[in-house]
Amino acid sequence: MTQEIPRDAYRAIEDIVGPDNISADPAFLDSYAFQWLAELVRPNRSHYMPRPWAVVLPGSTEEVAAVTRVCNKYRIKVKPISTGWYHWAAPMKDDAPTVQLDLRRMDKIIEIDEKNMFAIVEPYVICAQLQAEAMKRGLNINIIGAGCSTSIVASACAYFGGGPSSYYLGHNSDNLLGQEWVTPAGEIIRTGSLSSGCGWFCSEGPGPSPRGITRGVLGSRGGLGTYTKCAVKLGPWQGPPVLEPKGTLPGYRLPIPDNFRVYTIGAPDWDSWANCYYEIYDNGVGYIFHRQFNLAGADLAAALWLNYIDPAKTLNDVETSVKDPEIQKITEEARISFQFIMQGNSIEDIQLQDKILNEILRRTGCYKVKRFCEPDMAEFTNMYMQRLGHKHCNFIWAGGYMGSWMQPGTPDFVKKYVPLAIEGFYRDQQSHKLVECGGDAMMGCGSTLAGGGYFGLEQFVSYDPNDNDSIDACVKHMEDAIADTAAHGIPPGKELLYLQIGWTDERIWDALAMMPQQFVLNFQRKIKEAFDPNSLGDRNYPWLPEGWGQAASASTGAPKPQPGTECKPATK
Amino acid sequence: MDIKKRALIEIAGAEHVTDDPEILDGYATDCSYAPKRKPWFVVRPKTAEQVQALVQWANQTETPLIPVSSGPPHFHGDTVPSAPEGVILDLSRMREIKRIDRRNKMAVIEPGVTYAEIGPALAKEGLRISRPLLPRPNKSVIASLLERQPTLIPRFNYSLPEPLRTCGVVWGSGEVAFTGEAGSGPMDLELQWKRGIAQVDPRGPNATDLMRLLTGAQGTMGIVVWASIKCELMASAHKYVFVPGEKINDLVEFCYKLERIRLGDEVMIVNAAQLATILARKSGDARILKDGLPAWTVVIGLAGAALFPEERVEVQELDLKRLVQKCGLTLLTGLHGVAPADIADAFERCSGEPYFKFTYKGACQDIFFLTTLDKVPRFITAVFSVAEGLKYATSDIGVYIQPQHHGVSQHTEFNFPFDPADSREAAKVKRIVAEASETLISRGAYFSRPYGFWADMVYSKDAATTRVLRTVKQIVDPKNVLNPGKLCF
Amino acid sequence: MTLENYRADAMRCTRCAYCKWIPFDLIKSARFSKGCPSIEAGKFHAYSAGGRLVTALSLMDGRSTVTEKVKESVFKCNLCGQCDVSCKICRYDMEPLDAMRELRATLVEGNHTLPQLAPVIESLREEFNMVEQPAEKRGDWAKEFEVKDLTKEKAEFVFHAGCRYSFDGDLAHVARTCVKILQKVAVDFGILGMNEMCCGGRAYDMGYRTDFQTRANANLKAWKRAGVKTVITPCAECFHTFSRKYTAKAGSQIKVIHMVQFVDELIKAGKLKLAKPVKLKVTYHDPCHLGRQGEPYVPWDGKEKKIFGQAVCYDPPKPKYNGAFGVYQPPRDVLKAIPGLQVVEMERIKEAAWCCGAGGGAREAYPEFSRCTANERLEEAQSTGADAIASACPWCERNFTDATHAGGAKLKVFDIIELVGQAMGEEGQ
Repeated sequence: MTQEIPRDAYRAIEDIVGPDNISADPAFLDSYAFQWLAELVRPNRSHYMPRPWAVVLPGSTEEVAAVTRVCNKYRIKVKPISTGWYHWAAPMKDDAPTVQLDLRRMDKIIEIDEKNMFAIVEPYVICAQLQAEAMKRGLNINIIGAGCSTSIVASACAYFGGGPSSYYLGHNSDNLLGQEWVTPAGEIIRTGSLSSGCGWFCSEGPGPSPRGITRGVLGSRGGLGTYTKCAVKLGPWQGPPVLEPKGTLPGYRLPIPDNFRVYTIGAPDWDSWANCYYEIYDNGVGYIFHRQFNLAGADLAAALWLNYIDPAKTLNDVETSVKDPEIQKITEEARISFQFIMQGNSIEDIQLQDKILNEILRRTGCYKVKRFCEPDMAEFTNMYMQRLGHKHCNFIWAGGYMGSWMQPGTPDFVKKYVPLAIEGFYRDQQSHKLVECGGDAMMGCGSTLAGGGYFGLEQFVSYDPNDNDSIDACVKHMEDAIADTAAHGIPPGKELLYLQIGWTDERIWDALAMMPQQFVLNFQRKIKEAFDPNSLGDRNYPWLPEGWGQAASASTGAPKPQPGTECKPATK
Repeated sequence: MDIKKRALIEIAGAEHVTDDPEILDGYATDCSYAPKRKPWFVVRPKTAEQVQALVQWANQTETPLIPVSSGPPHFHGDTVPSAPEGVILDLSRMREIKRIDRRNKMAVIEPGVTYAEIGPALAKEGLRISRPLLPRPNKSVIASLLERQPTLIPRFNYSLPEPLRTCGVVWGSGEVAFTGEAGSGPMDLELQWKRGIAQVDPRGPNATDLMRLLTGAQGTMGIVVWASIKCELMASAHKYVFVPGEKINDLVEFCYKLERIRLGDEVMIVNAAQLATILARKSGDARILKDGLPAWTVVIGLAGAALFPEERVEVQELDLKRLVQKCGLTLLTGLHGVAPADIADAFERCSGEPYFKFTYKGACQDIFFLTTLDKVPRFITAVFSVAEGLKYATSDIGVYIQPQHHGVSQHTEFNFPFDPADSREAAKVKRIVAEASETLISRGAYFSRPYGFWADMVYSKDAATTRVLRTVKQIVDPKNVLNPGKLCF
Repeated sequence: MTLENYRADAMRCTRCAYCKWIPFDLIKSARFSKGCPSIEAGKFHAYSAGGRLVTALSLMDGRSTVTEKVKESVFKCNLCGQCDVSCKICRYDMEPLDAMRELRATLVEGNHTLPQLAPVIESLREEFNMVEQPAEKRGDWAKEFEVKDLTKEKAEFVFHAGCRYSFDGDLAHVARTCVKILQKVAVDFGILGMNEMCCGGRAYDMGYRTDFQTRANANLKAWKRAGVKTVITPCAECFHTFSRKYTAKAGSQIKVIHMVQFVDELIKAGKLKLAKPVKLKVTYHDPCHLGRQGEPYVPWDGKEKKIFGQAVCYDPPKPKYNGAFGVYQPPRDVLKAIPGLQVVEMERIKEAAWCCGAGGGAREAYPEFSRCTANERLEEAQSTGADAIASACPWCERNFTDATHAGGAKLKVFDIIELVGQAMGEEGQ
């Protein structure tokens, strides 16, 4: 592999960022190409996505813009990465020169406006850092489901954005205030009140909201320029100003203050589970609401977590535990369960919330899972869910996990596909090439939208990335899940998005052309033409080529544009 | 017959197309300073298909369309054509409440559904929506939400467009597409409902927030033919309390603390003139009431819905009392000269006739913008200073501060009542609005809804936004048929 | 072992970047949240544990070669083990620290060495120390004492001062205080004096495994000859090397105790009284090799097995080393027992302690990086309001002292034993 960035381009970029902040060393580049989930889509199960031609560490928005302009001159794609955790963060094309912009030097919390409850951050500020600072001020942030090691700018501006606290603290797309965006053309665009010179506090307007072109559900995921700063809304925190965990790793425990409650709630069946969610939404109780521990698989979760909190235990002990009758009882009790934390403004407030919750449980037939509500597990739950610093446990079984399903909707919508997802996953585990944790390894937020009402449940498919047979089994599960959903008239889940990383552009366009509505894809093509005239972004910002619509798919043989023409440059 | 008229009749039917001069005159002006311009026709479609046909026709003939959903009076210039040959698209016939989904607390409505209609319909299902302050009974709910009119309950304001979720849109190009979650499903609401899609998620579809491009747009991007809105449970226990202050500065710290912990439903800060106007039941009462009211008041609605509603109110009141005490303020459970039922009525009903802002003197002009609470006092000083300089009685100025987005931003509004028969007073108010707006913009007030003459003031200083919006406009309305001349288009 | 033995680790790395931070649960501020000095200095992902796993894979797969930059990314690292702790918060199947050591050894054995380490290795081979001093001076620090010479006599305990204490004139008084304590409590101990040799631990970390093996064999032989059952040392690196590396790599069964553990036991048994107040506000720095890398070691020879289809575990069960059971409390208890001493904690403590910057050959190979790392720690110490920073390792103390002299935060630097000596009324520095 001898793709080299043109010498002049290298030197020009070096002049901008300094010689210490650019590298084309192949081993260095491989550390960016290597990405989790690559092995599911790359030839020969390679763990490497396409290798960037150089990696650059800009130190400021101006440097990002200047580097981007150089890349425009030399037609080198630009792919930003901050904390970058999975294959979307890598370059997408083997034959397209790409500079990976590693934003780790841009790591400042610029300001926390405590009174007005927002923080302004650069891309390499992670949720844990901002949360620690916010809590000192009686404030908190929404941490996305991928955990506190993630970039706030990424989840607010460019990528999904929901997490266990979204139910109360909001989805990060709703928490986004002003933002600063370097377009693929190298322009710096600020949105909302920021662009009017009025500060960072408002993301909307003036007039129609320009931020409408930059986010959506998925975000552009690095495929349409670089976000270099943003402001995010903070929410109230009534706990201690500094978290003081107790105990021994890995199962640190966070004492529960008097105005908090931490529960694992169980349901006898999925109907009761859905009814419980609706009652929680109606009653407006709760602060953190998530089905977390079940990521390990309902058959194994109790055994895993009860061993996890013991510092002397390892996974070997889980093998023994699952045979213990006591653990088996807990397993059944917690089979359909979720974690629920409440925060009170006062003792009276939390007592009333408790009363309301108890009544909800009574009405819906749900209950508190006794063992998980005992102090050790409750405090561990509190630590886990407040800081969300154990998200690497997603990989605890075998080092690989892929999330399938997760079609978002109302609890009634999700309840309908859960049995299919369970049955399908259980079937796919019979190959013994996936971790056999039972069919239900579904995890998901209580609601990704504040106030309740909307979420998805994601199957945690654990596979060994060091074993090609296991990787193959995971891919087969993904294909099976797509088939299962199609057979039942359910839209495909996350597995399709992941598999598409390995598809050709044409295949993706054919799939997009089958969407019931293509307006937004054509819209996005035109936005790309306007803001990315030299096509330096990538397919993480999807579009449909002109004429490639429902009447112009490959399967119908209708005319379509020549491959590689992609978007037309904007006419000036 | 005029060729255009014939075409319009073919689409909407003869009884729903008019070029009656008196009717056209009614659309030629509004209460803003928009220059008078008469449309050529008013057409009243009933269905989304008719709307689409009209937009397609407008593209073919390059005819400006001006969508109007609410009944008069109109205030922001968006219903007055800015270009000649305009056709008013009066959407008031599209007034179906298509669905109320109690379980998911969502409603789907057409643009002609008004606040007078939605309240009782939702109440039958035990639901309500967070509303603006005293909306006109003929005010379109969708129009209000699209223009990001501030709503009264900050704790439900998860983002500024709330409770607006998804929309069905005829874009300026004549294409139809849905926004948000609805934009990823089939183009048929019934089919979506059958599949369990409840149009809850406003984001998207894909990597674009189409809904956000429609908000604050004054109908320049697309015509919303239906929208889903997030509802809340009806409160079964509800009371109002008041925290008075001599000066706005006395209340700022308290409001910060209150808004941070999201205590209460309705929360707003009003001065005596504004509160009097809100509470007055007929013209003239406001001036009497005003003298008995505190100079400034934080109005707080304590509500309880679902389980244990009364206890919820009790606990909130207890926490509120503690907070008030901590801030060295007092908590009133009533207002001098106002019956409790009248208070509830004032915050939960639509405006009577005339529109409540007109009850003081007969007419009113507004300035409104967004800012943060700490800056509000200095903006009040700035506006009052301009008014004083022009010899306007500052005691008549109504000030209304509505926390938005959980208190991060504050809708700050100044109402300048005047006698419409007094041309000198009218001219004075016009001058105040112009000068105060300039002062406010220069000092950092964020005119997020830059209507009328504000548009030039805002967009001339904001090239990046202008570029983005014109790019979007060029995409969704390439022939600029939707309300041309508004904002920066 | 070869690098191929760590292929699975590399393949199972998910690029989560936990290795760059202290355990997230323990983060108390944005300022003191980072865990890895190497990536803070080097910035590219290759400077992290996860990045080095990819480097290893990339080299094994023939996708890249060893360049000067690759060498720097591999060696500009203290091997402090913070990455290992953070990775293992959620993983039972990863050994990033061991993998990085293996990568170094692979480079060294492939002749990809750092020229700046050559004199240090030569000193080890010729003079049996890592500080480029003549061997015959090694025992000079103990001249004033009448102590058993274990080249001629036998004893139950050997006091091993270590290279740093033996040759560093500024710090040697700590070793002397140790001897005074041991004599005071009448322990049957001796020293090897001039014939004491380097533990070899740092050489191992630098990738020179053969040199380590030579030192280990020689030391074990010398102790066996002297009838030694237990090694006492005031150096954390020696402590780690003897208790873990010697057990793992040289089959040692000798007991190892750090001087601070010994003093803690003496205080708790009432055998050592600390009566003289030491008026100081001090913060304690956990040395990597005593703390997270100071866990008791249990030999294991097993293989990977899978349960529940694909879940990775081991047969027999593999002991878990994640910093949970390092030596954290004894030094703190000793400090608490010193009258008049006010002890304040930094944010990053115990398993989350930020490295002093001295270890892994970084001080010798990349002095500026080493000093920056020390400065970061001193800033953190200063933020507590402490007047002084105390540790239990001479390498930490030397690095901190050098950093303060070079313009870093103005803090006094002590070893715990030094403070114990002051509390005993013994002469301190």
